Amino acid sequence: EIGISKEEALEALQVVRQECHGDAARTAGGSGATRKCTALELLEEEQAQGFIITFCSALDNILGGGVQLTKITEICGAPGVGKTQLCMQLAVDVQIPECFGGVAGEAVFIDTEGSFMVDRVVDIATACVQHCQLIAAAHQEEDHLKALETFSVESILSHIYYFRCCDYVELLAQVYLLPDFLSEHSKVRLVVVDGIAFPFRHDFEDLSLRTRLLNGLAQQLIIIANDHKSAVVLTNQMTTRIGQSQSMLVPALGESWGHAATVRLIFHWDNSQRLATLYKSPSQKESTIPYHITSHGFRDVQPPAVTQNSEDTEMNPRKRPRREEEK
Amino acid sequence: MAAKKLRRARLSQELCERLSRHQITTCQDFLCLSLLELMKVTGQSYYDVKKLLSKVSQACAPKMQTAYEMKLRKSVNPSSAFLSTTLHGLDEVLHGGVPCGSLTEVTSPPGCGKTQFCIMMSVLATLPVSMGGLDGAVVYIDTESAFSAERLVEIAGNRFPSYFDSDEKLFSMTCSVHLYRELTCDSVLKRILSLEEEMISKKVKLVIIDSVASVVRKEFDTKLQGNLAERSNFLAKGASVLKYLAEEFSIPVILTNQITTSLSSGLIQADLVSPADDLSLSEGASGSGTKESGGVTAALGNTWSHSVNTRLILQYHDSPLRQLLVAKSPVAPFSAFFYTIEKSGLVLQDGKDQTNSTCEGTNPALQPIRVRNAALKDTLLHAP
Repeated sequence: EIGISKEEALEALQVVRQECHGDAARTAGGSGATRKCTALELLEEEQAQGFIITFCSALDNILGGGVQLTKITEICGAPGVGKTQLCMQLAVDVQIPECFGGVAGEAVFIDTEGSFMVDRVVDIATACVQHCQLIAAAHQEEDHLKALETFSVESILSHIYYFRCCDYVELLAQVYLLPDFLSEHSKVRLVVVDGIAFPFRHDFEDLSLRTRLLNGLAQQLIIIANDHKSAVVLTNQMTTRIGQSQSMLVPALGESWGHAATVRLIFHWDNSQRLATLYKSPSQKESTIPYHITSHGFRDVQPPAVTQNSEDTEMNPRKRPRREEEK
Repeated sequence: MAAKKLRRARLSQELCERLSRHQITTCQDFLCLSLLELMKVTGQSYYDVKKLLSKVSQACAPKMQTAYEMKLRKSVNPSSAFLSTTLHGLDEVLHGGVPCGSLTEVTSPPGCGKTQFCIMMSVLATLPVSMGGLDGAVVYIDTESAFSAERLVEIAGNRFPSYFDSDEKLFSMTCSVHLYRELTCDSVLKRILSLEEEMISKKVKLVIIDSVASVVRKEFDTKLQGNLAERSNFLAKGASVLKYLAEEFSIPVILTNQITTSLSSGLIQADLVSPADDLSLSEGASGSGTKESGGVTAALGNTWSHSVNTRLILQYHDSPLRQLLVAKSPVAPFSAFFYTIEKSGLVLQDGKDQTNSTCEGTNPALQPIRVRNAALKDTLLHAP
C-alpha cells in the first residue's frame, strides 16, 4: 500500500519486532523462549523424556511407560475408586532416584477435597523405599547404595509440597503463583491437582464464566508442564447425565474440558474389580486393565513375583536408555 | 479468603477506588477477569497487570506445607488426629478412628444403628483426652428428631461405668452436647454457616448432622426438572462449608445418610428415589418393601459420594447381628465387621470372620446394602 516492495516491508516489520522482543526479554526474564522447533528436535526430546512409574506395570504399559512429563494427564473416576491413591503414589514415585528408573524430582500436591492423608503417604513411601532396597540388594552397585542414603521416608515426605485450596479463587490464585514457586523449587517434576472439579461444581450460576476460568487454568497448566518439564495430573469427578431412558456416568465439567487434558484415564468398577481405561491419548491405543490398591499402594492384580530376577526385568528396561545417555 | 477486600491485598488506594467503580472490590472479582479486561479496567500495561495479579494471588493463596511437616504435627499430637470409636477392629483399620479434618458418612437402612452410632460418638467426644476422647463439646444437628437424651445417658453409664460414676459427671457431659433441631434445608445450611462462632466460643470438637438425607429428600424431588442440579448445588455447598470447618478446627464431622433404590447395571446408575422413601423421616418399615439383595444403595447421588472422605455402611446380617462396612476411606481397605447394639451402644463381635480386608472392594456408590426382611418384623416384638 505504501508503495514499497515486499522485502522492504518485511525488513521494517522485523525491525519493529526486534524492538518488542528486546523489551520482552528484559522485563519478562526470558522465560519460555522460542516455542518453535523442528519435529526432529521434538522427537529427540520426547525420547529422552522421563516417565513417572506407577508401580502397576499394566498401567505403565498402556500409558507407554508411565505418566509422561510435560503432558497433562487427567484421571476421572467414580468416588472411592482410587484417584487420590494414585495421586499419592505418583507423588512418592516421582522422587525415585534415577538409578532405580525414576526421575528424581519433587512433587507439588494441590488438594481441593481434603482427602490427602499423611499416614497413607507414609505407608506408600515405606513400601517404595523397601522396593528400592530390594533392588539395591540384588545389584550391589555403588550408585544404588549412595542414592539409598538420601532416599528415605522422611526425605520423601519433605519433598511433597502441599497446598490446601478451599475454593476456586484460592485455586486460581495458587496456579497463578505456581510458576514462581516452580522456579524456586526447580526440582519439581510433578504437579497434582486433586479435585479440579470440586470447587467448580457449586456456586456457579454463570456457566460461561466457569468455562472461561477452566480454560484459563488449563492453559496455564500446559505452560507450566512444558516450561518446567513436569507432569501435571488432575483428578476429575464423574457426574450423572440423564438421557432419555437411562442415565450414564460421564466425566464432570462438561465437554469442553475434555479438550484440556492430553491423556485421559477413566477408573471404574466391574463388579468388584477396579479397572482403568485409557480413554484419550495421542500415542497409545485405548485399552483397559485391572488394578488393585493394596496397603502398599497402587499395584497390579497379580502381585509381581518377589524373586530378584523379575525385579530386574521390571526395572531394567527403563534403566538402560538412561545409562546409555549418560555414557 | 476469596471475599478478601482488595485493599487488604496491599494494592494502592487509587487503584482500589478505580476498580470499585467497575464493581471489583474483592479478590474473587479480580481473579475472575481475564488479562485484557484487567488491563482495560486498570489502564496499566501487560507486565504491570501481571505483577498486580501476583500480588492479589499471594493474598489469597493457601500456605505451603510439606508432607513431612504435616506428619510431624500429627505425631506431636496423635490424639488430635483421630477420634477413637472404641470399636477396636474399626480403629485399627482406620489407623486410629474417625479422622479429624474430614467428613465421615454413615449410611444404612432405617433402624440399623446410625443414630445409635452418632449418640455413641457424642459421648466419646466429651471424654477427656486420656480416655481417647477430645474433651470438647458436641454440636448435634438433628433433622429427624431422633436424638434421645436418655439413650445418651444410658450409653455413657454402661460404656464407661468407672468414669461416669457420679451424677455430676453425667450432668456435665450432657451439658456439652448441644442439640439443634432443624427441619428444612435452608435452616440446616444457615446453621452450618453460623457454626464457626459457636465452635470457638463453646470449644466444639465434633459436629454431627443426623441426617442430611432426610431434609434434602423432602425438599428436592429429583423427578422434577432442574431440581437435581439445585440439590447437587446445595449438597456441594454444604459439603465445602463443613470441610472448611473440619479442617480449620481440626475436628471430625459425622453425617448420616439414607438409602435409595438404584436401578443399575455396571456403569449405568440412576438415582431414583422410590416413592416409599419420600415419606419416611426416621426409623420405619418403609424400606422393608424393597428386595433384599442389590438394588439398594446410599442416597444423595454421585456428587455427594465424591464429597465425603470416608463412608461407613451399616447393614443387616442375621438378626441381631449387623455388619459394618468400611466402603470408602483414603487410609483403609474395604473391611467388614459384625456388631450388635446393646445398652452400651455398638459392640463389635469378636471371633467371627473379622477384618475381611481384601484388595477388592466395591463401588461405594453401588454397594448393595441389605435391608431388613419383612419376615423379621416379628423380632421387633421381642427386641429388648
